[in-house]
Amino acid sequence: MDDRTDTVGGAARWRTIRGHAVLAVLGLLCVFPIYWLYATSLRRPEDVYELSPLPWPLSTQSFTDAAAKIDVVGLLANTTLVALLTALGQLLTGLLAAYAFAAWRFRFQRLLYLAFVGTWLVPFQVTMLPNYVLLFQMGLLNTLAGVIIPTLCSGLAVLMLRQHMESFPKELLEAARMDGRSSWTTLWTVVVPNLRPALAALAILLFVNGWNEYFWPAMVLQRSNDVLQLGLRSFMGTEGNDWGPLMALAGLACLPVFLLYLVLQRHIVNGFVRSGLK
Amino acid sequence: MNRSRSRLGLAVVALALTASACGGLGSTDVQQTSAVARAPELAPDQQVSIVFESYNFGQAGAWTETFKQLIEKFQAAYPNITVTPQKPQGNSANPATDTIPSLQSQLATGNPPDVAQLGFSDLDFTIHQLGAKPLDDLVGKEAVQANFSGAKHSYAPTARTLGDWGGKTYGVPFVFSTPVFYYNATLFQQAGLDPANPPKTWDEVRAAAKKIKEATGKDGAYLDCLTKEAKDWCFQALVRSNGGRVLSEDRKSLTFADQPTVEVVQMAQDMVKAGESPKLGQKQGYEAFARGDVGMILETSAVQATFVKGAKDKWDLRATTMPSFGAKPVVPTNSGASLYIFSNDPAKQRAAWELIKFLTSEEAYVTISSKIGYLPLRTGLAQDPAGLKDWADKNPLIKPNLDQLAKMEPWTSFPGTSYLQIRDGMMTAVENAVYQGADAQATLSAAKDQAAPLVPGGGK
Repeated sequence: MDDRTDTVGGAARWRTIRGHAVLAVLGLLCVFPIYWLYATSLRRPEDVYELSPLPWPLSTQSFTDAAAKIDVVGLLANTTLVALLTALGQLLTGLLAAYAFAAWRFRFQRLLYLAFVGTWLVPFQVTMLPNYVLLFQMGLLNTLAGVIIPTLCSGLAVLMLRQHMESFPKELLEAARMDGRSSWTTLWTVVVPNLRPALAALAILLFVNGWNEYFWPAMVLQRSNDVLQLGLRSFMGTEGNDWGPLMALAGLACLPVFLLYLVLQRHIVNGFVRSGLK
Repeated sequence: MNRSRSRLGLAVVALALTASACGGLGSTDVQQTSAVARAPELAPDQQVSIVFESYNFGQAGAWTETFKQLIEKFQAAYPNITVTPQKPQGNSANPATDTIPSLQSQLATGNPPDVAQLGFSDLDFTIHQLGAKPLDDLVGKEAVQANFSGAKHSYAPTARTLGDWGGKTYGVPFVFSTPVFYYNATLFQQAGLDPANPPKTWDEVRAAAKKIKEATGKDGAYLDCLTKEAKDWCFQALVRSNGGRVLSEDRKSLTFADQPTVEVVQMAQDMVKAGESPKLGQKQGYEAFARGDVGMILETSAVQATFVKGAKDKWDLRATTMPSFGAKPVVPTNSGASLYIFSNDPAKQRAAWELIKFLTSEEAYVTISSKIGYLPLRTGLAQDPAGLKDWADKNPLIKPNLDQLAKMEPWTSFPGTSYLQIRDGMMTAVENAVYQGADAQATLSAAKDQAAPLVPGGGK
């Protein structure tokens, strides 16, 4: 009996070790490109083509070069503005639409909701062309407003918040109405305070998405490299890639998201889990 | 059922939107070359604004900084002309690949840049489809030739006609390189080779590459001329140096499956098979050389700064002229770009010409060469103590490039509207033969047969 327990325990332990080993290898594989990014950014300019795993001697020259060649602070400010306004816009439109869907019953409600969900299902590559033409006609190409405006509404935000609103106790809404509160006041004094965790998680998710976006800003800002992700292109060209400053800027571009992650780890994981995405 | 219906509806809406979007942008009209009226001189107080589009504005660093300074100098000299520099619109990591689509889309909206910097591979298309203005008509042949002759130092004779077509000058050659043979003198010494006597023929290159590989374990030689990514300027130099051409002189038939081309591709394939040349892509190739892991490389001087940086305090970088095929004469070709005028407004045309004259002046070349390291097309500057003599003496790497200018031939652009498909088809075949081991003759012949219908007139 004892022998069998030992065998079973041993096998379980062995399985656990194997599982952890696989996870450790996968973890290393995921972290390695990020390590290489920072390692390259910390090499001396003449060492950027080296393949040695440890950057030595260390140098911050690439960061100095990047700051000298492009306006890093301006890029950080622009990217923050775009990500923040995009996230806030999506959150606000999502909140209002989800509230309407959850609190009222009206004609074509289901169809309208499906249309919202539909915008989320249609690939971005399909909607980008009409959006692009519209921006062209409005004269908003090559502007930050052009990057932000078409992204102010997100099907994902509506979808997620509606789920939360649906589970929100209807009795509370009724009580607020009995108190004589208007729908608008009810939303901001009753619903929003109670949905704060969900809103925080979604806000972080939307901000991270906005921060990391490359393709849409690249379409709109054809000539300028006004956001961080596009600023990276400034170090690529016919005369070869300037890997040191390129990696330094890429490293800087990752930092705000890393910091956000460190500070709000629980909310972010929550956000991703709730959305079932990425 | 409901779900599938609504999905279908969405798909139809999306498709309609996409179709309307595509139609909304319009298409580029085919333009024909025709004589244009003379652009009158500007009155001293006549205010003109022009746009200068160059792919180099996409890259931060020396080029952008130097050109900002040059444009400031130009505006100080011509206070009535305002220049707006811009990079081509597009999403490519390398803005040089965006130049033609950018110009096409701007022409479609009737608002092209007034001056644009475009590659020599696009010459035929630039003149016949994009409608670059003939400078001889705009400002007069004498003025164009006077600019080439310069105040003190004239353009290299081989360089001044690179932007010509049918006896007229359309583009002023601006920045380019010839294929330079860089080598790692440190690896040469380690392999028992004499760095003072670099290989002069491709047979010698192969022998040296073999020695380097055997003695040091590092790779022998990389030719950045044999991939689609490298385009065909340097490949054309190899083919011309072996007595062949990729396009017949009358521009009516493709000749890149002829014996001289096949021999070049076969030799390159043999080098790869024998381990004398590494199987690497363009960037991998020149970065491996910069790292000191490859003994020799045939490359444009545009990436010389990368080599200088990689070699610093580590290995001895040297350069020589392109090797020959036995006793056949070496025929280098040029990479790079010219400056063209696209404006339809006479005042802007004249202002654009003033800018081109300034950017190709002695003063500008002194700044461009000393700050960015580009080849001064006014070669006399390299011997002029008041020009670039000091700089040229300190930078011996420029010498092979200057020497090769004398015997250089133009990088031939393919004809027709599908010129890029022809070029890319040829280079894909070359890449497949050299690096994938496909049969050289069969692959090039197949590519030629496929591309022939794209040549105006059938290409046979």
